[in-house]
Amino acid sequence: MEYILGIFELSAINLVAVLGLSILTGFTGLFSFGHAGFMAIGAYVGAIVTARLHLPFVAAILAAGLVAGIISIGIGRLTLKLKGDYFCIATMGFGEAIRLILNNWAWVGGARGWESIPQFKGISVSLPFIVAIISVILVWNMVNSRQGRNMVAVREEELAAQMAGINVMRTKMMALVTSAVLAGIAGALMANFVGFIAPKTFNMTKSTELTIIVIFGGIGSISGSVLGALLLTALPEIFRAFSDWRLVFYGLAVIVIMVGRPQGLLGGMELTPAGLRKAAAANKAKAALLAESRAMEKRGEI
Amino acid sequence: MRTRYVLGTVLTLVLAIALVGCGGAAKQADTIKIGWFGPLTGDTALWGQAELNSVKMMIDDYNAAGGIKVGSKTYKLEVIGYDDKGDSTEAVNVAKRLSSQDHVVAIVGPQGSGEAIPVAPILAAAKVPYVASTATNPKVTVTESGAVNQYSFRACFTDPYQGKVAAYFAYQKLEKRNAAIFMTVDDSYSAGLAQYFKESFEKLGGKIVAEVSFTAGEKDFRAPLTKIKAANPDIIFMPNYYTDVALSAKQARDLGINQVLLGGDGWPSENLISLAGNALEGSMFINHLDFDGDIAKPFRDEYKAKYGKVAELNSYMIHDALLMVIDAIQRSGSLDGEKIKNALETCDIEGVTGHIKIGPTHDPVGKDAWLIKIIGPNMVFQEKFAAKD
Amino acid sequence: MTQFLQQLVNGLSIGSIYALMAVGYSLVYSIMNFSNFAHGSVIMLGAYFGFFSMTLLGLPFIPSFFVAAFGSAIIAVSLERLAYKPLRDRKAPFLYFIITAMGASIFIDNFVIATIGPTPKMYPQIFAQGPIMLGEIALGRIDLAMFGISAVCLLALILFIDHTKMGKAVQATAYNMKASALMGVNPNFVIILVFAIGGALAGVAGVLYGMKYQVFPQIGAITLKSFIAAVFGGLGSLPGALLGALLLGLIETFVSGYLSTQYRDLIAFLILIAMLIVRPTGIMGKNAEDKA
Repeated sequence: MEYILGIFELSAINLVAVLGLSILTGFTGLFSFGHAGFMAIGAYVGAIVTARLHLPFVAAILAAGLVAGIISIGIGRLTLKLKGDYFCIATMGFGEAIRLILNNWAWVGGARGWESIPQFKGISVSLPFIVAIISVILVWNMVNSRQGRNMVAVREEELAAQMAGINVMRTKMMALVTSAVLAGIAGALMANFVGFIAPKTFNMTKSTELTIIVIFGGIGSISGSVLGALLLTALPEIFRAFSDWRLVFYGLAVIVIMVGRPQGLLGGMELTPAGLRKAAAANKAKAALLAESRAMEKRGEI
Repeated sequence: MRTRYVLGTVLTLVLAIALVGCGGAAKQADTIKIGWFGPLTGDTALWGQAELNSVKMMIDDYNAAGGIKVGSKTYKLEVIGYDDKGDSTEAVNVAKRLSSQDHVVAIVGPQGSGEAIPVAPILAAAKVPYVASTATNPKVTVTESGAVNQYSFRACFTDPYQGKVAAYFAYQKLEKRNAAIFMTVDDSYSAGLAQYFKESFEKLGGKIVAEVSFTAGEKDFRAPLTKIKAANPDIIFMPNYYTDVALSAKQARDLGINQVLLGGDGWPSENLISLAGNALEGSMFINHLDFDGDIAKPFRDEYKAKYGKVAELNSYMIHDALLMVIDAIQRSGSLDGEKIKNALETCDIEGVTGHIKIGPTHDPVGKDAWLIKIIGPNMVFQEKFAAKD
Repeated sequence: MTQFLQQLVNGLSIGSIYALMAVGYSLVYSIMNFSNFAHGSVIMLGAYFGFFSMTLLGLPFIPSFFVAAFGSAIIAVSLERLAYKPLRDRKAPFLYFIITAMGASIFIDNFVIATIGPTPKMYPQIFAQGPIMLGEIALGRIDLAMFGISAVCLLALILFIDHTKMGKAVQATAYNMKASALMGVNPNFVIILVFAIGGALAGVAGVLYGMKYQVFPQIGAITLKSFIAAVFGGLGSLPGALLGALLLGLIETFVSGYLSTQYRDLIAFLILIAMLIVRPTGIMGKNAEDKA
């Protein structure tokens, strides 16, 4: 039973990071290949706070998010003005740079990693779950606020959004910082959960995996991210026998999704009664439009 | 319509996870489950695969003979093995799975110090003893503060001992005075071994003229090797894994570096010489046994007959680890983790890798180190060497 | 002084490998305006193609090169047809291309790990062991051969681009795809051609890399460095790729030799970041268009 709980806890931890990335990628349209770097920052800061400074774990989580957020402001200032794939490449560069710096830093264990990190269990409910639920609520509120609508506007058509008076740079920065804070918190939770961290855990493969989960779950959908995180954390454990093929499947899934169904599992949809109704209504409207245009064709009007 | 389809798929998947997850393992009354984990993918996959093969072969042999007797009952044996991918986080995951999900009574492995160290607190909390095969870093059994990890054991000698043997051999036997070290900086095994070699070599009066490192996964060693060349050592100590050893030896020869190379137990592998060509001619390394010796012969032949491949070092080591576990289970007369752990603490058996007597730090005491020289396509046993002050 | 010269040789030797790989990246970028991350995987496949053609098919050295080049070209073109073309037809945002490329590279790399296995393989020895000594400096035989082969390939490429009609078509499409299409150049054909050439170069680079080091599935990841070289020199510029590659090789080697190997990769990524911030078009790149 503890093993199952562990899987769900790991999913919850991944979820926090994925939610953050979802804000950046899913809602604001910026792809990042370096988010494992923010997780790494959070993990190491959290570990320093509990193992070296001997402060309670809550302090670790807060510090992790804070430091990751501050660093992301710096990174954002430098990179958010870059266009399209240059931004992606820059994030990749930063992600790797962070990892390599940690690799060379003996005080935190360097490349060999840092073991015996103090591990705190939750109060009565497990800590990762609490944090995950809080994160979902926060992100949900953000998405449904004006900030959220601005982000979607920037994603869809940046130039138009700017003309409509939206401060594009500020919107992007908010998205980046939020995503970094969440990734940092997830990192601290991860360090606490495993009790051991090493820089190579936070490599580019991890960053890419997070992005894949967001794409798989669906761009612009919070429930999609939740589902994606759950499935893509739990399924590999179930299919352990095929673990060789896990990444093969991920790669193929990305291609298939991008080419065939870019909205992923629940893109643009939410798994709530209101969300489902909205999706159903949209489908109906689309079908009606299609029928109408066919009718017009028949009548010779098109 | 489509939303319902998506919803349906989603619900089915979630349900599937829940069912499979909560299914759990049906406990069979008269089977003892032994866990194993090690690298089945990654750079050292060759060794992981060799270990799993050996364990399976031995378990089949035990079961064919009727099983093992524990107390008054006879049990069959079963091995549950997982891939740790040579990664510490993955090792932690599988250790949790083996102990809390699969309910194994003991674990043999892992082979990497990087994986054996982080699982210590987890397996101790779950009261599942484990015997590492080739994890030689001292931190596997003894923490930095000096406390012994209660449930951690190993079947091999430790790096401090191995480093000392290498240093003493180089200084006393080969009469070298200036050594260069070429190690993998982000691997506990390699860095640890390098450190102990250095300490011992300098204590004897030798000089380390260059200490150069590379990161795992690196393929071009020319820049660091050039540094070594410039320092002009008598001998070069390379405590790395065989793929890197083969490649770096070739590149060293291509740079005109012709000194003898000395290595540790990361070298022995069937592929070492085929990958290195004649770049390792005359070089030497420390091993846990003599592959071609008489003690190892029955196991070696059986392995070859069953798998068609030559047994690797790890095959022999995991063989002895399993012997230790089974001996402990039988001597304790119980399947309780704590009792098995206690029995392991007084382990004193003969394995294919020599006499294994567990000491107060859960490490074998006084285990032999075997020096092997590479001559042509063969690894030829030179001598047993003990570091004598 | 000897050490300095030796490190210089080392740096140029690494740089020449990066150059062959970087040129492929830049070529595709100049036409398609995105970074084809799957290029590294094609290089890796090239190494395996060459290896298998020598060991399984028993072909001698030179024909194996062509087998590898041909095989890699086919893979590259298939990738374009199956993954990138549908995105192009759909006028998908440029970011989707990069993600798809990543996905393809993850797929190919891990497919090889899962099927052929992760254990490195060794090319049969072609050249005699041991270096050619120029005084105290060691010049590896393989390095000299590689230098020669890379030079020949790059020369052929330059001749093609500058002096043939098809080459001009490629240049025109790189400059402005729509306009050249209006002038009668078939963009699809040019794209296939570019991917084929890029793939062939990747194949050759793969074989050379495999010969110099080993053949293993993670070669694609290592060629990320050559991507940095391409950005450094200026994505889209072939001379830039060459320059960036040689410079990166030298910088890496000197950092590795005089500071420490541990900082080598870090410095490479810091160069990448610095470049992107200060001058995203690289040393010699063409002007960055609006990619929104």
